Amino acid sequence: MDFNAIAEHLSVANVPGLLSVDLPRPPDKKTKDKGRSGLPHVCVDPACMVEFLTFCRDDEALGFEVLIDLSASDPSVDDENLWILIQLLSVRHRHRLGIKSLLPKSALSMPSSTRVYRAAQWHERECMEMFGVTFEGHPDPRNMLLPDDWPGYPMRKDYEFPKEYHGISCE
Amino acid sequence: MGILEEAFEENVLTTRVDWLLNWARLNSIWPMTFGLACCAIEMMAVGAAHHDIDRFGAGAFRATPRQADLMIVAGTVNFKMGERVKRLYDQMASPKYVIAMGACATGGGPYFKYGYTVMKGVDRIIPVDVYIAGCPPRPEALLEGLMALQDKLRRTSVIRKPARLQPSDPA
Amino acid sequence: MTSPTETSATEDEHKPSIRPADEVRILASGEREFFMDVATSDLEINMGPQHPATHGVMRVLLRTDGELVTGAQPHLGYLHRCAEKIGESVEWLQYLPYTDRYDYLSAMNNNLSYSLAVEALMPELEIPRRGTMIRMICAELNRIASHLVAFGTYGLDIGAFTPFFYAFREREWIQALFEKICGARLTYSYIRIGGVFNDTPPGWLREVADFCDVFEGKWQEYYDLLIENHIFVQRTANVGVITAEMAYDFGLTGPMLRGSGVDFDLRRDMPYLEYGQAHDAGAFGVPLGTGEKGTLGDCWDRTQVRMKEMIECLGIVRWCLEQIEPGPIIGNVPRVIKVPPGEAYVGIENPRGELGHYLHSDGGKIATRCRVRAPSFVNLAVLEDLMPGSLLADAVAIIGATDIVVGETDR
Repeated sequence: MDFNAIAEHLSVANVPGLLSVDLPRPPDKKTKDKGRSGLPHVCVDPACMVEFLTFCRDDEALGFEVLIDLSASDPSVDDENLWILIQLLSVRHRHRLGIKSLLPKSALSMPSSTRVYRAAQWHERECMEMFGVTFEGHPDPRNMLLPDDWPGYPMRKDYEFPKEYHGISCE
Repeated sequence: MGILEEAFEENVLTTRVDWLLNWARLNSIWPMTFGLACCAIEMMAVGAAHHDIDRFGAGAFRATPRQADLMIVAGTVNFKMGERVKRLYDQMASPKYVIAMGACATGGGPYFKYGYTVMKGVDRIIPVDVYIAGCPPRPEALLEGLMALQDKLRRTSVIRKPARLQPSDPA
Repeated sequence: MTSPTETSATEDEHKPSIRPADEVRILASGEREFFMDVATSDLEINMGPQHPATHGVMRVLLRTDGELVTGAQPHLGYLHRCAEKIGESVEWLQYLPYTDRYDYLSAMNNNLSYSLAVEALMPELEIPRRGTMIRMICAELNRIASHLVAFGTYGLDIGAFTPFFYAFREREWIQALFEKICGARLTYSYIRIGGVFNDTPPGWLREVADFCDVFEGKWQEYYDLLIENHIFVQRTANVGVITAEMAYDFGLTGPMLRGSGVDFDLRRDMPYLEYGQAHDAGAFGVPLGTGEKGTLGDCWDRTQVRMKEMIECLGIVRWCLEQIEPGPIIGNVPRVIKVPPGEAYVGIENPRGELGHYLHSDGGKIATRCRVRAPSFVNLAVLEDLMPGSLLADAVAIIGATDIVVGETDR
């Protein structure tokens, strides 16, 4: 199924959490819109992410057995939201789906998707240490790549590079 | 060689002994398997048949630091790993030597500017004898570095303490 | 000394005075066997980060009860080099050398994945056909080189030193070919946004054809030397069995998934470049795990899939050599690349699985987000469930068959 068919199927099935669909569009001089290139994705409410992913995995027509990626993005310092980005893949139907969720920076927490896909466990650990997102119900919220006492959340846009760590200069 | 340092003046006997000991040492430098990143693959290529490191006597890669003379730091050292590098260096028995292979071990490499967790050169924690440039250095460059180390060993003496590089001060 | 026929009163004096035996059995020969309940405790062994068998700086905290592994916890981050932060700090083309360095054994494929993702955001950029053909040849040769290292170092882990030297002999040839075309042996930065940056030197394509002819014979040698070796089969069959459901749940891709019998290869099923046409022309097939030596999805299956993939790569290279024609090699790429605003995720088939780049651009010279979906990072998670229940020697076999590269797990 191509993206439009998948989006259609999702909206017809009235899946909880589906907010909107973001399609690529060419730039428009009249509205001064710079346009959006690339690939489309669906926007999902973070609070209902677990139900949404469960539907994607268990539905026959969609059949997304594999969670390819779960990550986050801090679009800019001024933006009040953090993006949670999920990529799904269906092996038997040979199609993909991109999902985006907006999490307000003031309330950075959402339920953990490890119950749905075991692959989410390590991806969520990385998001937690890099962005400071809290995934409720995560079985193992330790630091993944950074040392245990590393200050700050490195992937945020307002991150300041540290000057020294344990007496060794960082410059 | 603590008891012999400064005990005699240099004479024909000590130079003969020096020559013999240095010849024995430089023709049997046993490296420790310390491949960290991409340079490790070129180190493995040096250990393989085409660029043979065994003809220099340095083919017996020991996994344990207690039996190794040489630590070839091949790859990027970050703060988490640096702690272990220092511990392994301390576990090696004297006389011990360090080759910093590649741009990352020499001075941070391509991660110099924006790598917040990368240690900018392994000489911040351990004294380095030979630096090899390259990203990754060709196997021939590693062999040249080994030969430079052998030249350094030819100049050591039982009655003189060898000049060692100190870890550079944190900036 | 007292004779063995003494009464139990004097024998008690010679027994160790720790505890009396919990159970005494009398054997047919008349001897007595004493059984004592000895309290054992689990041993926590640290495997790595400096270890000859962990394929890089990975640390696995093993909890063992004697020789049996009861728990395994991988610890990462010893090679974290902030690749994603660098992606947000340097220009689009300047980031290309960093892509080489995550999975340093298959640098061409990494470059390809990043370039395809950027090109997905630049729809008006045309890639010339010769560029596509050279990209495919380089990607497949790199796949052979990467699988050779996997095969050689796996033998080394198991204890067979010889295959390592043979694997590196062939690898030197491939590295010499790459050195002729782009000047580097390991980290190429050759496949760039819009095509490739250098045309093939004269005679290069003929050398690639020569390599293909010679390699087939050598491949059979390596297959018989290691993969069909009785000892290797006993070390790897029935070890580390991954079922298809487990593979889906953990997000495994690449040979890890195909070793469990799942027929899925991104080059054939969601084609990029001209792999679709190559497959339709019969240039390559997709080998799967069969479970013939043990169970479906064991370590032997995964290794066997990697070996057979090398032969399929030769088919693709030969097809490209027939199809290639003179022409431009890179599209009309501006000197300073400014990617139009947008977001895209593109995943390709790396030797280890699916390497995907998610790029977000706001129209400028520098990416806003460059997320790398590394296959080794995802494949490694399965160790937590695979290792408990195996013996300590099998733990090494399982890590080797997972074929991770720590540059990729940590980025």
